[in-house]
Amino acid sequence: MKKRLVAILLAVATTMSLVACNGGTPSSEVVSGQTGSETTKEYDLTSIKMVVDGTLTANLDNRQDAFVEQWQEAIKEKTGKDVALNINQLDHSGYVDAVGRLFAGGDYPDVMIMPASMFAQYANTGLLWDMTEAYDNAEFQSRIEKPEINESLKRDGKLYGFSPAYGNGCVTYVKKAWLDKVGMNASDIKTYDDYYKMLLAFTNEDPDGNGKNDTYGTDAAGFLKADEAPYINYLPEFWQDAYPAIYQNDQGQWVDGFQEEATKKALERLQKAYKDGVIDPAALTDSTKTAREKFFSNDQAGSSGSFAYWAGTWYQTLTDNLIKNEVDSELVMLEPIKEVGSYINREAPVWVIIDDGDGDNSREQAIFDTFIDTMLDGGKIQVLWTYGAEDVHWSTKAESFVLNAGTDKEKSYEYKDGEFHLKQSPNDENTLWKKNAMDPALVISPLVGDYAGFTNTSELAAQGNIFFVQHCKDAHPSPVSDVLTENNGTIIDAKNAVISKVVVEGGDIDAALADYKAAVGSIIDQALEDLNSK
Amino acid sequence: MGSKKETMAAIQELQVQDIINTGLANSKEEAQKVWKKKKASKFWKHIWNHRGFYLMFLPVAIFVIILYYWPMLGIRFAFFDYKPVGDPKWVGLANFQKMFSTRAFWISFGNTLFLSILKLLLTTATSVLVAVFLNEMRLLWAKKTLQTLIYLPHFMSWAVVAAIFSLMLSPSATGMINGILKDLNIIDPDGSGIYFLANKAWWRPIFFLINIWKETGWGTVIFLATLSGINPELYEAADIDGASRLQKIWYVTVPALSQTIIIVLILNLAKVMNMFESVFVLYNSAVFDVSDVISTYIYRQTFTNALPNYGYSTAVGLFKSLVGGGLVILCNWASKKIRGRGIL
Repeated sequence: MKKRLVAILLAVATTMSLVACNGGTPSSEVVSGQTGSETTKEYDLTSIKMVVDGTLTANLDNRQDAFVEQWQEAIKEKTGKDVALNINQLDHSGYVDAVGRLFAGGDYPDVMIMPASMFAQYANTGLLWDMTEAYDNAEFQSRIEKPEINESLKRDGKLYGFSPAYGNGCVTYVKKAWLDKVGMNASDIKTYDDYYKMLLAFTNEDPDGNGKNDTYGTDAAGFLKADEAPYINYLPEFWQDAYPAIYQNDQGQWVDGFQEEATKKALERLQKAYKDGVIDPAALTDSTKTAREKFFSNDQAGSSGSFAYWAGTWYQTLTDNLIKNEVDSELVMLEPIKEVGSYINREAPVWVIIDDGDGDNSREQAIFDTFIDTMLDGGKIQVLWTYGAEDVHWSTKAESFVLNAGTDKEKSYEYKDGEFHLKQSPNDENTLWKKNAMDPALVISPLVGDYAGFTNTSELAAQGNIFFVQHCKDAHPSPVSDVLTENNGTIIDAKNAVISKVVVEGGDIDAALADYKAAVGSIIDQALEDLNSK
Repeated sequence: MGSKKETMAAIQELQVQDIINTGLANSKEEAQKVWKKKKASKFWKHIWNHRGFYLMFLPVAIFVIILYYWPMLGIRFAFFDYKPVGDPKWVGLANFQKMFSTRAFWISFGNTLFLSILKLLLTTATSVLVAVFLNEMRLLWAKKTLQTLIYLPHFMSWAVVAAIFSLMLSPSATGMINGILKDLNIIDPDGSGIYFLANKAWWRPIFFLINIWKETGWGTVIFLATLSGINPELYEAADIDGASRLQKIWYVTVPALSQTIIIVLILNLAKVMNMFESVFVLYNSAVFDVSDVISTYIYRQTFTNALPNYGYSTAVGLFKSLVGGGLVILCNWASKKIRGRGIL
């Protein structure tokens, strides 16, 4: 019997070490990494622990050390304090998972970035510091040009997250060379039928000219990004007016868009497109990175002619990569087709401050003053967040350099002393650096004074941003519901199951939606009741 | 023959009698007290005499307690609603009720048993076959080369294996396997290829094939060791009896391996609930019904939720541990029956 008991204990111990190794640090026990005693008057902030995703492009491969060093110097200059910035940059595509693992280990940062859907779940939990007052009294207030961005983030009049820029979104890019090859013009693609004809041509008319039938109309990382709002922006032409998530309709009622007729129609379109082979058949399992790299790969076998991806800087990046890989020299941004109307401007990711729950706001206020308020100082620190480190990512010193030297894509750059310009990317001397964490075209407060002339020299990025702003509408705000939070994983699984059954397996749409309703219908109903009763 | 307990009682009785005989005690009760004192003293004397060994064992004991037993305190969260934010709230058996009423949990439970056990049987069978084949090879250099080649996949990480096979099995124009099938006109050359890793009918066979490819070589090690220990006289005797090569394999080699095969199966059966990485890197939402195992289910419930309930994940983990514990006991019983001693 003793041996049996030992056996059970051993088995339980081994497995539990995998699933329950959290020592149990509830939020009330969250402590900051700072040293020194907290007072209600002034907090002696010595370090900031920051968690960020891939939007901070000055990553470890791109001289993050220089960014950190110059940020610390600039803070010292501005506030007279030595504050160490410790960055924990997590994998971009698995950010929510990675943050979950950090929190599971009781490892809470001082400040972090949160995507909109994640923020919606955390906003009312007490983990995030209420920065309403700090925001209202912030030094940057007088310079803010788009106050509505942060006003829309308020929940019950309280601001738990700050966004220095508006959200941005995806537009559909088309390879110009492929359009020429199949004898089409982007300006003629006005309806879904036109768009679909283009996809068919890209699929069947050998646009890469290799003599093989090995290309596709379009590609995406999944047919529906069920875990990332606004969910449908990677295949907007197929989803059109459908919004397969819980949203507030024009009558102010919260509804489940996944069960609406528009979603059914979208599924029909996706099913047909998959059957016709105009969508890369590996789309379901492709990651964002894979889909992106297939698009500009130097081997165009298996590539697609159109690809919906982020506007602005990514217009430049995708074009640069197509040029570098000698695929194409021009990408065309497709105006939204009639059925789409507008591309979707996602809810902006926000910076949040973790509340240590001690009832004393001095630490959190110090973090706000040092980290968030300075982010939009209109000067040196805003430049750091916008363009990166001086003389590493950008410079005003006279210099000249050449990209893609010795190739037919060679391009020379020459700058005079005092002329602001972006330098070669630290990790790729054939690519021009574009921006750091904040997109200069999307930021809500401009650079001022000596820095007002610091403008992004990338024409394509600027064009991309203008194009997007002209053709976008705001995404539906994410619902805040305990029921949804509790069952998020189950709902995502159920949605993905429908997509697989309908699109990949060609199954019956009504039957698949009935399965969805059977699996999560009661949860959805409960969530809707909860949301509509507020 | 008496039981061990009876034997021990008899020895104790004799020692107590000896104490009375030597005059250290006048009555039986007094003798028993003296016996107990002597026993305790003997225990501490033993510890003291072997203090070096016990001192060496101390770090191990501390390590095990801290890393294996201390985390077990987390079991309590199976009865709490415990999120990254806020204090844990006692919910009794609510997490278990949710678990047992969730279809996805039962699918993952069934898949765990099916995938693990079949994988175990298949990889063991192929390992035995390959080991016998290697044992029959006469060219030593060829045998060594082949051994090295088939061992190599074992040392590749599952992430790399998944990347390689995902590329090879891709349904798009770049997928090698679909390309070959199209070239051979086995599938429609103009149609889309087979989506091996997103097709419910194909996912499991592909999963088993990848596991066989990766683990068979390493699995042969223990069988080759057993084969090298077979008495050559048995083969000589078979030769004298006129046995063919196949007959020697069947009547000498395979019986010699049977005990090892059973031991390998029993020892691995205890680990069937731990399947995670191999599934995690190869599965996707299209094949959850046939691929999702308990560990991947726990992972999704915990880490794809921005605000997960660790209490629920712990409840599922606790259930998995209890089943795993049951299997350990079962294997211990089977081991005792088959080879006369347990695995614990």
